[in-house]
Amino acid sequence: MYGWIWRHLPGNTWVKALISFVLVLAVVYVLFQYVFPWAEPLLPFNDVTVNGSAPWPGSVAAR
Amino acid sequence: MVATTDPDDRTEASSPPPPVRRPRHRIAFAVSVFGELLITVGLVLGLFVAYSLWWTNVTADREANRQSDQVRHHWADPGPGALDTKDGIGFLHVPAMHNGEVLVKKGTSAAVLNDGVAGYYTHPVKSALPGDPEGNVTLAAHRDGHGAKFHNIDRMRKGDAIVLETKDTWYVYKVYDILKETSKYNVQVIDQVPKESGKKKPGRYITLTTCTPVYTSLYRYVVWGELERTQKVDSDRTPPVELR
Repeated sequence: MYGWIWRHLPGNTWVKALISFVLVLAVVYVLFQYVFPWAEPLLPFNDVTVNGSAPWPGSVAAR
Repeated sequence: MVATTDPDDRTEASSPPPPVRRPRHRIAFAVSVFGELLITVGLVLGLFVAYSLWWTNVTADREANRQSDQVRHHWADPGPGALDTKDGIGFLHVPAMHNGEVLVKKGTSAAVLNDGVAGYYTHPVKSALPGDPEGNVTLAAHRDGHGAKFHNIDRMRKGDAIVLETKDTWYVYKVYDILKETSKYNVQVIDQVPKESGKKKPGRYITLTTCTPVYTSLYRYVVWGELERTQKVDSDRTPPVELR
């Protein structure tokens, strides 16, 4: 997979390395900016209130 | 992902591989892709931990500071009403938690708490406001991530001061009971008269709630305090002795 990407990047090794670095940064940016904020409320790690209902805030339905 | 088993690496070698070994190469290729996927999942999970425990603190602290400045600015610039509930009702100071001041806003939804503030409950039991003649001011904040404002809640001991600063009054509470672990379904802990802490009569209480143990949301940690005294805010906003 990564080997395939590497071979399909243009340029010599340095150019490839530079493009790879930019790609990694782009992936991290997308993860931090969009994917993780979306995923976090779906995971039961950050629920701090007593509410006796849903495991995450936001869907605090009447009991 | 062992490089020598990669079929494409073989093509760069001087002698091309004999065709009889092709099926094995396919398997090796599949294994290497699977391995790379596993590595990728591991890296993404690692990044998620960094996001949860570090990055959300960075963004939440930035947002909390911005909102706190707004409230301070609003207070300095006299507006209508003694208690401004729109931008936040005040600041929580708990010397034992060593985390400075925490803005207190209305509501305990993720949208509020994720900005690195403490929220007062509107549901399932409505919180009192500090200025009310009696009642329980019930607050929640994150233990980890998103500012982690109550991270050090386990450092609080009986007798410690909890100071709530509003526009014109310092409310000084004293911790009188701590519940180290309770179910999230135990909503009685934020009752207006918190019986679980041993109180039977209405009074002026404060309740801090967050999750425990750290890095999980398995249980809730509760700290109760009772109002000891109030102090008018002077022109220099001199903090009460508890905070000096």
